[in-house]
Amino acid sequence: MNSTATYEEKGTAWGKFVSFLNKIGFSPLGFFLLIILALLPNFYPFSEEYIVRWLIMGAFLAAQAVAFDFTAGYINIVNFGFAALLGLGAYTSGIFANTTPFLLFAPGLNPWLTIWLGAIMAGLVGFVLGILTLRLRGIFAAVMAWFVGIALMGLVNNLTELTRGPLGMNPVKFIETPNNLPYFYIILAMMVMIYVVLKLVVGSNIGLAFKAIGQNPDAARASGINPTKYLVFNFTLSAFFAGLLGGFYAHFFGSLTPSTLMHTSKTVEVLAIAYIGGRGSLWGGVTIAFPFVFFIEFLRSNLSSLPGLHLVIYGVLMVTIMIYYPAGFSGFYFWTVAKVKTLIKKNK
Amino acid sequence: MTNETSAAPMTTVNFMTWVKDNLPVVVVSVFSIILFVLVGLKGGAPQVFNVLVTGGMWALLATGLALVFGVMNIPHFAHGESFMVGAYVAYFTFTPINKFFLTTGSKFLIYSGPILAIIAAGLAGCVLGIIIERIIFAPLRHRTKEGWVMNAFLLTVGLSFILVNGTTLTLGPNFRGIPRYFDVPSLEFMGAFIAVDRIVATVIALITIGSLWFFLRQTKTGRAIRAVSQDETGAQLVGIDLDFIQTLTFSLATGTAAISGASLLFMFQAYPTVGLTPLYFAWYVVMLVGLGNVAGAIVGGFIVALLQSATQLFIGLSWQSVVPTVVMILVLILAPSGIFGSEVKGVQEQ
Repeated sequence: MNSTATYEEKGTAWGKFVSFLNKIGFSPLGFFLLIILALLPNFYPFSEEYIVRWLIMGAFLAAQAVAFDFTAGYINIVNFGFAALLGLGAYTSGIFANTTPFLLFAPGLNPWLTIWLGAIMAGLVGFVLGILTLRLRGIFAAVMAWFVGIALMGLVNNLTELTRGPLGMNPVKFIETPNNLPYFYIILAMMVMIYVVLKLVVGSNIGLAFKAIGQNPDAARASGINPTKYLVFNFTLSAFFAGLLGGFYAHFFGSLTPSTLMHTSKTVEVLAIAYIGGRGSLWGGVTIAFPFVFFIEFLRSNLSSLPGLHLVIYGVLMVTIMIYYPAGFSGFYFWTVAKVKTLIKKNK
Repeated sequence: MTNETSAAPMTTVNFMTWVKDNLPVVVVSVFSIILFVLVGLKGGAPQVFNVLVTGGMWALLATGLALVFGVMNIPHFAHGESFMVGAYVAYFTFTPINKFFLTTGSKFLIYSGPILAIIAAGLAGCVLGIIIERIIFAPLRHRTKEGWVMNAFLLTVGLSFILVNGTTLTLGPNFRGIPRYFDVPSLEFMGAFIAVDRIVATVIALITIGSLWFFLRQTKTGRAIRAVSQDETGAQLVGIDLDFIQTLTFSLATGTAAISGASLLFMFQAYPTVGLTPLYFAWYVVMLVGLGNVAGAIVGGFIVALLQSATQLFIGLSWQSVVPTVVMILVLILAPSGIFGSEVKGVQEQ
């Protein structure tokens, strides 16, 4: 999954395929794993409905981690209002697709259309958030995003005629089907799309500008990079995809409440995945999200007498990794690859 | 803030330049005074006392937050969990003690029960602070100082996650509360009835802030703490033990938060996520006055409480988290380093 590897066999069909994969951000190994993942629900025991549901949650979390890492790992601003932006997308989509008359507004549009409206809405707020955080750095930017998130959640809680507030609303589903498999492919496609688009962006000159701004905004400005443009662009794109994922959430689970969707603790869950996966890699969170969801759901279903244990483990892992291994899983992967390469060189 | 130099009668020109130099403070003060008068007119004495009670508590919480940030540069996200721990310790101390004291029938013992519970909570908070500092922050501090502010912030986020869910795991999600600490009728004051608990909570907040202030100003250790907050390297050069000062600061902050959690047990029942609202408001205060500004945090606590009361009165109870947030967003845009314009050891760069 690292695009830095060189392939001598360019020109052959395989070499062409590998360089194409590299261009869209996959190594051959990563692509192979993705195909396995896509085929997984067709085999027992992964074809069990509850396991497909876990896979969906894994992909949902993974996609969130990618969109989150796009801001946190590159421009070095922790978007603490991420969950609120996702919730905004979910609510916008849910409201536009709403057909029930008890709400103020019931246009009843097709959910396939409204998820994009939700994404655009979240993108607009992300644009505003980008402008608001322009003068701020580090902790101040994080706190600003956090406050905006709290304000958004309060707004959703209070506009009861539109959202039913804490009672929650029930948006229509994408497709009326008893099994979860179609939803798995929807979220998997979304995840791959988000990953490829963001990887293409960070692989271009824009990505270099992001990294420059993330490391030292003043130096970046001095070398001719306009931080305003890139910062706002980054926030808008990240928020856009957050909103899109929110739309999936709305039309998959079919139930939205502000506190289960927009709460700061939801941002923290994504943040933990992105950090354990490794900052600034985009794919680190994806590789961590699936085993994590399985592990945690396994704990939850087997230790139902101990509520919250899985979240304690989340926190302990995050703190341990932050202190002792800040590079995360992707850092570990690159370290291993480098080690193996030097070993091979020595033996030659 | 620094108005001591103008001993000579102030001329209009002088005054105008002073206003210009301290524009955010002036705007916020004028706004607060207008708001205070409006709240007083609409809500009367009960609302004014409400502002004083909550203001004292936010001030106490925010002082700890500001202290931790000023001395250790940690934006403390788990401060609300110290509040939560205080509430739990007070509950588990107060209930059995009160039961026992009631059997003795001695008035003195019954009235000292709550005080004992609050002191126990404060001590437990201090111990918890020492443990957290030694286990979590000391290793990171010794490892690297690079990107410290953000890393410390995320660590406290993880810590808050662990504490909240650890509490759910061990004690369950149930609410544990007491109806009141002091079983005496409310006092009448200017036509308003005020529960004794509230008065005691305010007094405790003021006493704690006062003793903290005295400690920081007048004692040798307190001066060492302030020295570290001004210049770490310089403090080390004159022989101050940095590790000791930082552990002490963290333990003081956790302890004061636990005290406020304990003394507000009659308002906020103890449950795992009880710390969230206090955390929000403590953060509003420190963002309003500037991160790390301990003196400002005391004033800011009352301003935020005023804003909260005004929102409740004029817009509605459910908006009380939205309106202050929006105001703080405005403050962050217009005056990112707070209305008093404090600068903390190069935080902007990290």
